[in-house]
Amino acid sequence: MGGVPDGLDPVIHAPARLRVVASLAALGRGDEVAFPKLRKLLDMTAGNLSTHLRKLEDAGYVRVTKTHEGRMPATYLALTDTGRAAFADYQAALMDLLKGAQG
Amino acid sequence: MTSEPTSGSGADPAQPGDPAGLDPAETLRMIQQQQEAARDATEPDGRLLFGAWGLAWLIGYLAMWITARDTGSPEVWAGWVLAGCIVGAVAFTVVHSVTKTAGLRGASARVGAMYGWTWFLAFTAYAVMLGAMGDAGASTEVQAIAANGFACLIVGLMYIAGGLLFEEVRMFAIGAWMLVTAVLAALVGMPNTYLVMAVAGGGGFLAMVAVEQVIRTRRRSPGPAQRTEGGGRGA
Repeated sequence: MGGVPDGLDPVIHAPARLRVVASLAALGRGDEVAFPKLRKLLDMTAGNLSTHLRKLEDAGYVRVTKTHEGRMPATYLALTDTGRAAFADYQAALMDLLKGAQG
Repeated sequence: MTSEPTSGSGADPAQPGDPAGLDPAETLRMIQQQQEAARDATEPDGRLLFGAWGLAWLIGYLAMWITARDTGSPEVWAGWVLAGCIVGAVAFTVVHSVTKTAGLRGASARVGAMYGWTWFLAFTAYAVMLGAMGDAGASTEVQAIAANGFACLIVGLMYIAGGLLFEEVRMFAIGAWMLVTAVLAALVGMPNTYLVMAVAGGGGFLAMVAVEQVIRTRRRSPGPAQRTEGGGRGA
Protein backbone atom coordinates (compact mmCIF):
# COMPACT_ATOMS: atom_id res chain seq x y z
CA MET A 1 0.00 0.00 0.00
CA GLY A 2 2.78 2.44 0.93
CA GLY A 3 0.43 5.22 1.99
CA VAL A 4 -0.52 6.37 -1.51
CA PRO A 5 -4.30 6.38 -1.90
CA ASP A 6 -5.80 4.46 -4.80
CA GLY A 7 -5.80 6.28 -8.10
CA LEU A 8 -2.96 8.64 -7.21
CA ASP A 9 0.28 8.37 -9.18
CA PRO A 10 3.03 7.57 -6.62
CA VAL A 11 5.70 9.24 -8.78
CA ILE A 12 3.87 12.58 -8.63
CA HIS A 13 2.44 12.12 -5.15
CA ALA A 14 5.66 12.91 -3.24
CA PRO A 15 5.26 16.58 -2.24
CA ALA A 16 8.63 17.68 -3.59
CA ARG A 17 8.00 16.04 -6.97
CA LEU A 18 4.45 17.39 -7.06
CA ARG A 19 5.89 20.89 -6.72
CA VAL A 20 8.38 20.19 -9.52
CA VAL A 21 5.67 18.87 -11.84
CA ALA A 22 3.21 21.68 -10.98
CA SER A 23 5.89 24.29 -11.74
CA LEU A 24 6.84 22.71 -15.07
CA ALA A 25 3.14 22.39 -15.99
CA ALA A 26 2.77 26.16 -15.52
CA LEU A 27 5.13 26.68 -18.46
CA GLY A 28 3.76 26.61 -21.98
CA ARG A 29 3.81 23.34 -23.88
CA GLY A 30 7.19 23.08 -25.59
CA ASP A 31 8.92 25.45 -23.15
CA GLU A 32 12.00 24.55 -21.13
CA VAL A 33 13.42 26.06 -17.96
CA ALA A 34 17.08 26.15 -16.92
CA PHE A 35 18.03 24.09 -13.86
CA PRO A 36 19.18 27.07 -11.72
CA LYS A 37 15.96 28.97 -12.37
CA LEU A 38 13.83 25.95 -11.42
CA ARG A 39 15.98 25.34 -8.33
CA LYS A 40 15.55 28.94 -7.21
CA LEU A 41 11.80 28.83 -7.86
CA LEU A 42 11.40 25.65 -5.77
CA ASP A 43 13.97 26.67 -3.16
CA MET A 44 15.45 23.15 -3.09
CA THR A 45 19.08 22.13 -2.90
CA ALA A 46 20.66 21.17 -6.22
CA GLY A 47 21.21 17.58 -5.03
CA ASN A 48 17.65 17.19 -3.82
CA LEU A 49 16.20 18.59 -7.04
CA SER A 50 18.48 16.40 -9.18
CA THR A 51 17.32 13.29 -7.37
CA HIS A 52 13.65 14.11 -7.88
CA LEU A 53 14.23 15.07 -11.51
CA ARG A 54 15.94 11.72 -12.14
CA LYS A 55 12.91 9.85 -10.81
CA LEU A 56 10.61 11.95 -12.97
CA GLU A 57 12.87 11.39 -15.97
CA ASP A 58 12.91 7.64 -15.33
CA ALA A 59 9.09 7.68 -15.30
CA GLY A 60 9.10 9.51 -18.65
CA TYR A 61 7.46 12.60 -17.16
CA VAL A 62 10.35 15.05 -17.50
CA ARG A 63 12.74 15.63 -20.39
CA VAL A 64 16.27 16.62 -19.37
CA THR A 65 18.31 18.38 -22.07
CA LYS A 66 22.01 18.94 -21.46
CA THR A 67 23.59 21.59 -23.63
CA HIS A 68 26.26 24.31 -23.64
CA GLU A 69 25.82 28.05 -23.52
CA GLY A 70 29.16 29.41 -24.63
CA ARG A 71 31.52 27.26 -22.59
CA MET A 72 29.17 26.76 -19.68
CA PRO A 73 27.22 23.51 -19.47
CA ALA A 74 23.51 24.12 -19.05
CA THR A 75 20.61 21.80 -18.24
CA TYR A 76 17.04 22.48 -19.33
CA LEU A 77 13.95 20.77 -17.99
CA ALA A 78 10.53 20.34 -19.53
CA LEU A 79 7.43 18.29 -18.83
CA THR A 80 6.82 15.63 -21.48
CA ASP A 81 3.35 15.05 -22.92
CA THR A 82 3.21 11.92 -20.75
CA GLY A 83 4.09 14.01 -17.70
CA ARG A 84 1.48 16.62 -18.56
CA ALA A 85 -1.17 13.91 -18.91
CA ALA A 86 -0.08 12.26 -15.64
CA PHE A 87 -0.34 15.62 -13.84
CA ALA A 88 -3.83 16.21 -15.27
CA ASP A 89 -4.85 12.70 -14.14
CA TYR A 90 -3.40 13.35 -10.69
CA GLN A 91 -5.39 16.57 -10.33
CA ALA A 92 -8.55 14.84 -11.57
CA ALA A 93 -8.03 12.07 -9.00
CA LEU A 94 -7.63 14.68 -6.25
CA MET A 95 -10.85 16.35 -7.37
CA ASP A 96 -12.63 12.99 -7.22
CA LEU A 97 -11.31 12.40 -3.69
CA LEU A 98 -12.46 15.87 -2.69
CA LYS A 99 -15.94 15.32 -4.10
CA GLY A 100 -16.07 11.92 -2.41
CA ALA A 101 -15.10 13.49 0.92
CA GLN A 102 -17.72 16.22 0.54
CA GLY A 103 -20.58 14.17 -0.85
CA MET B 1 22.43 7.77 -5.11
CA THR B 2 19.75 5.29 -4.21
CA SER B 3 18.56 6.90 -1.02
CA GLU B 4 16.00 9.61 -1.15
CA PRO B 5 17.29 12.83 0.41
CA THR B 6 14.84 14.05 2.98
CA SER B 7 14.01 17.68 3.32
CA GLY B 8 11.17 19.67 4.79
CA SER B 9 9.15 19.48 1.61
CA GLY B 10 10.42 16.15 0.38
CA ALA B 11 8.67 13.63 2.61
CA ASP B 12 8.22 10.54 0.49
CA PRO B 13 5.92 8.97 -0.43
CA ALA B 14 3.37 10.10 2.13
CA GLN B 15 3.41 11.80 5.46
CA PRO B 16 3.57 9.25 8.24
CA GLY B 17 0.84 9.48 10.80
CA ASP B 18 -1.72 10.53 8.22
CA PRO B 19 -3.81 7.48 7.45
CA ALA B 20 -5.30 8.86 4.26
CA GLY B 21 -1.88 10.04 3.10
CA LEU B 22 -3.18 13.46 2.11
CA ASP B 23 -5.74 16.17 2.33
CA PRO B 24 -7.01 16.64 -1.26
CA ALA B 25 -8.12 20.25 -0.73
CA GLU B 26 -4.79 21.19 0.83
CA THR B 27 -2.86 19.44 -1.96
CA LEU B 28 -4.88 21.21 -4.67
CA ARG B 29 -4.24 24.51 -2.93
CA MET B 30 -0.52 23.75 -2.80
CA ILE B 31 -0.54 22.99 -6.55
CA GLN B 32 -2.30 26.28 -7.25
CA GLN B 33 0.18 28.25 -5.15
CA GLN B 34 3.15 26.55 -6.76
CA GLN B 35 1.83 27.32 -10.25
CA GLU B 36 1.21 30.95 -9.29
CA ALA B 37 4.79 31.17 -8.03
CA ALA B 38 6.06 29.58 -11.25
CA ARG B 39 4.15 32.10 -13.39
CA ASP B 40 5.36 34.99 -11.24
CA ALA B 41 8.94 33.85 -11.76
CA THR B 42 8.65 33.35 -15.52
CA GLU B 43 6.12 35.89 -16.86
CA PRO B 44 6.39 39.69 -16.90
CA ASP B 45 4.15 41.42 -14.36
CA GLY B 46 1.35 43.12 -16.32
CA ARG B 47 0.75 45.61 -13.50
CA LEU B 48 4.30 46.96 -13.72
CA LEU B 49 4.34 47.16 -17.53
CA PHE B 50 0.90 48.79 -17.82
CA GLY B 51 1.81 51.10 -14.93
CA ALA B 52 5.06 52.23 -16.58
CA TRP B 53 3.32 52.96 -19.89
CA GLY B 54 0.32 54.59 -18.25
CA LEU B 55 2.53 57.03 -16.33
CA ALA B 56 4.73 57.69 -19.37
CA TRP B 57 1.76 58.62 -21.57
CA LEU B 58 -0.04 60.55 -18.86
CA ILE B 59 2.95 62.71 -17.90
CA GLY B 60 4.44 63.06 -21.39
CA TYR B 61 1.23 63.93 -23.23
CA LEU B 62 -0.04 66.21 -20.47
CA ALA B 63 3.17 68.22 -20.86
CA MET B 64 2.50 68.41 -24.61
CA TRP B 65 -1.12 69.43 -24.09
CA ILE B 66 -0.42 72.10 -21.45
CA THR B 67 2.17 73.86 -23.63
CA ALA B 68 0.20 73.42 -26.88
CA ARG B 69 -2.91 74.87 -25.27
CA ASP B 70 -1.11 78.12 -24.50
CA THR B 71 0.79 78.69 -27.73
CA GLY B 72 -0.91 76.51 -30.33
CA SER B 73 1.97 74.06 -30.62
CA PRO B 74 3.91 72.16 -27.94
CA GLU B 75 7.08 73.62 -26.45
CA VAL B 76 10.38 71.94 -27.13
CA TRP B 77 10.83 71.06 -23.45
CA ALA B 78 7.50 69.20 -23.48
CA GLY B 79 8.73 67.16 -26.44
CA TRP B 80 11.79 66.20 -24.42
CA VAL B 81 9.64 65.25 -21.43
CA LEU B 82 7.53 63.00 -23.66
CA ALA B 83 10.61 61.48 -25.32
CA GLY B 84 12.17 60.87 -21.89
CA CYS B 85 9.01 59.19 -20.60
CA ILE B 86 8.78 56.91 -23.66
CA VAL B 87 12.48 55.97 -23.51
CA GLY B 88 12.12 55.24 -19.80
CA ALA B 89 9.08 53.01 -20.35
CA VAL B 90 10.82 51.15 -23.19
CA ALA B 91 13.92 50.58 -21.06
CA PHE B 92 11.85 49.36 -18.12
CA THR B 93 9.81 47.02 -20.34
CA VAL B 94 12.89 45.49 -21.95
CA VAL B 95 14.80 45.03 -18.67
CA HIS B 96 11.77 43.63 -16.82
CA SER B 97 10.79 41.22 -19.61
CA VAL B 98 14.34 39.99 -20.20
CA THR B 99 14.88 39.47 -16.45
CA LYS B 100 11.64 37.53 -16.00
CA THR B 101 12.13 35.28 -19.02
CA ALA B 102 15.84 34.58 -18.46
CA GLY B 103 16.49 30.85 -18.14
CA LEU B 104 13.56 29.93 -20.37
CA ARG B 105 13.71 28.67 -23.91
CA GLY B 106 11.35 27.03 -26.35
CA ALA B 107 8.25 28.00 -28.28
CA SER B 108 7.12 30.85 -25.98
CA ALA B 109 10.60 32.40 -25.90
CA ARG B 110 10.75 32.42 -29.71
CA VAL B 111 7.29 33.93 -30.05
CA GLY B 112 8.07 36.48 -27.33
CA ALA B 113 11.30 37.56 -29.05
CA MET B 114 9.53 38.02 -32.38
CA TYR B 115 6.78 39.98 -30.67
CA GLY B 116 9.30 42.26 -28.95
CA TRP B 117 11.22 42.92 -32.17
CA THR B 118 7.99 43.71 -34.00
CA TRP B 119 7.35 46.59 -31.58
CA PHE B 120 10.82 47.91 -32.31
CA LEU B 121 10.43 47.57 -36.10
CA ALA B 122 6.96 49.13 -36.13
CA PHE B 123 8.05 52.23 -34.21
CA THR B 124 11.20 52.58 -36.28
CA ALA B 125 9.03 52.66 -39.41
CA TYR B 126 6.70 55.10 -37.61
CA ALA B 127 9.56 57.52 -36.86
CA VAL B 128 10.82 57.40 -40.46
CA MET B 129 7.30 58.02 -41.84
CA LEU B 130 6.74 61.01 -39.56
CA GLY B 131 10.11 62.43 -40.53
CA ALA B 132 9.25 62.06 -44.21
CA MET B 133 5.90 63.80 -43.67
CA GLY B 134 7.70 66.71 -42.01
CA ASP B 135 10.22 66.91 -44.86
CA ALA B 136 7.36 66.95 -47.36
CA GLY B 137 5.95 70.05 -45.67
CA ALA B 138 3.24 68.66 -43.39
CA SER B 139 1.98 71.32 -40.99
CA THR B 140 2.47 71.06 -37.24
CA GLU B 141 -1.19 70.10 -36.87
CA VAL B 142 -1.02 67.35 -39.52
CA GLN B 143 2.16 66.01 -37.93
CA ALA B 144 0.60 66.01 -34.46
CA ILE B 145 -2.49 64.13 -35.66
CA ALA B 146 -0.36 61.62 -37.57
CA ALA B 147 2.08 61.15 -34.67
CA ASN B 148 -0.68 60.51 -32.12
CA GLY B 149 -3.09 58.58 -34.33
CA PHE B 150 -0.43 56.27 -35.79
CA ALA B 151 1.10 55.67 -32.36
CA CYS B 152 -2.29 54.51 -31.05
CA LEU B 153 -2.89 52.49 -34.21
CA ILE B 154 0.39 50.60 -33.80
CA VAL B 155 -0.08 50.10 -30.05
CA GLY B 156 -3.68 48.97 -30.59
CA LEU B 157 -2.83 46.45 -33.28
CA MET B 158 0.21 45.16 -31.36
CA TYR B 159 -1.89 44.56 -28.25
CA ILE B 160 -4.55 42.83 -30.32
CA ALA B 161 -1.81 40.66 -31.86
CA GLY B 162 -0.54 39.91 -28.35
CA GLY B 163 -4.05 38.99 -27.26
CA LEU B 164 -4.26 36.51 -30.13
CA LEU B 165 -0.73 35.13 -29.60
CA PHE B 166 -0.88 34.68 -25.85
CA GLU B 167 -4.65 34.07 -25.68
CA GLU B 168 -5.05 37.04 -23.33
CA VAL B 169 -8.46 38.67 -23.58
CA ARG B 170 -7.24 41.64 -21.53
CA MET B 171 -4.52 42.42 -24.07
CA PHE B 172 -7.12 42.28 -26.83
CA ALA B 173 -9.39 44.64 -24.88
CA ILE B 174 -6.73 47.28 -24.28
CA GLY B 175 -5.73 46.98 -27.96
CA ALA B 176 -9.29 47.64 -29.08
CA TRP B 177 -9.45 50.60 -26.68
CA MET B 178 -6.26 52.02 -28.21
CA LEU B 179 -7.88 51.93 -31.66
CA VAL B 180 -10.77 53.95 -30.20
CA THR B 181 -8.16 56.34 -28.77
CA ALA B 182 -6.56 56.63 -32.22
CA VAL B 183 -9.87 57.74 -33.70
CA LEU B 184 -10.54 60.24 -30.90
CA ALA B 185 -6.99 61.63 -31.02
CA ALA B 186 -7.33 62.18 -34.77
CA LEU B 187 -10.82 63.72 -34.66
CA VAL B 188 -10.34 66.28 -31.87
CA GLY B 189 -7.36 67.95 -33.57
CA MET B 190 -4.92 70.36 -31.92
CA PRO B 191 -4.29 70.84 -29.06
CA ASN B 192 -6.75 68.40 -27.50
CA THR B 193 -5.30 65.43 -29.38
CA TYR B 194 -2.62 65.45 -26.66
CA LEU B 195 -5.23 65.47 -23.91
CA VAL B 196 -6.87 62.40 -25.50
CA MET B 197 -3.48 60.67 -25.55
CA ALA B 198 -2.89 61.44 -21.87
CA VAL B 199 -6.35 60.63 -20.54
CA ALA B 200 -7.71 57.92 -22.86
CA GLY B 201 -4.33 56.40 -23.74
CA GLY B 202 -2.42 56.77 -20.46
CA GLY B 203 -5.62 56.35 -18.47
CA GLY B 204 -6.42 53.15 -20.40
CA PHE B 205 -3.09 51.64 -19.40
CA LEU B 206 -3.57 52.69 -15.78
CA ALA B 207 -7.06 51.16 -15.75
CA MET B 208 -5.41 47.89 -16.81
CA VAL B 209 -3.20 48.05 -13.70
CA ALA B 210 -6.37 48.00 -11.60
CA VAL B 211 -7.87 45.16 -13.68
CA GLU B 212 -4.70 43.06 -13.31
CA GLN B 213 -4.66 43.69 -9.57
CA VAL B 214 -8.30 42.64 -9.14
CA ILE B 215 -7.77 39.43 -11.13
CA ARG B 216 -4.63 38.63 -9.14
CA THR B 217 -6.33 39.16 -5.79
CA ARG B 218 -9.32 37.07 -6.82
CA ARG B 219 -7.10 34.23 -8.08
CA ARG B 220 -5.06 34.26 -4.90
CA SER B 221 -7.81 34.44 -2.35
CA PRO B 222 -7.80 31.20 -0.36
CA GLY B 223 -11.06 30.00 -1.78
CA PRO B 224 -12.38 26.57 -2.73
CA ALA B 225 -9.88 24.25 -4.35
CA GLN B 226 -12.10 23.97 -7.42
CA ARG B 227 -10.25 26.99 -8.79
CA THR B 228 -7.25 24.84 -9.64
CA GLU B 229 -9.31 22.86 -12.12
CA GLY B 230 -7.44 22.38 -15.35
CA GLY B 231 -3.97 23.01 -13.93
CA GLY B 232 -1.64 23.72 -16.79
CA ARG B 233 -0.98 27.16 -18.14
CA GLY B 234 -4.06 29.17 -17.29
CA ALA B 235 -5.37 32.55 -18.39
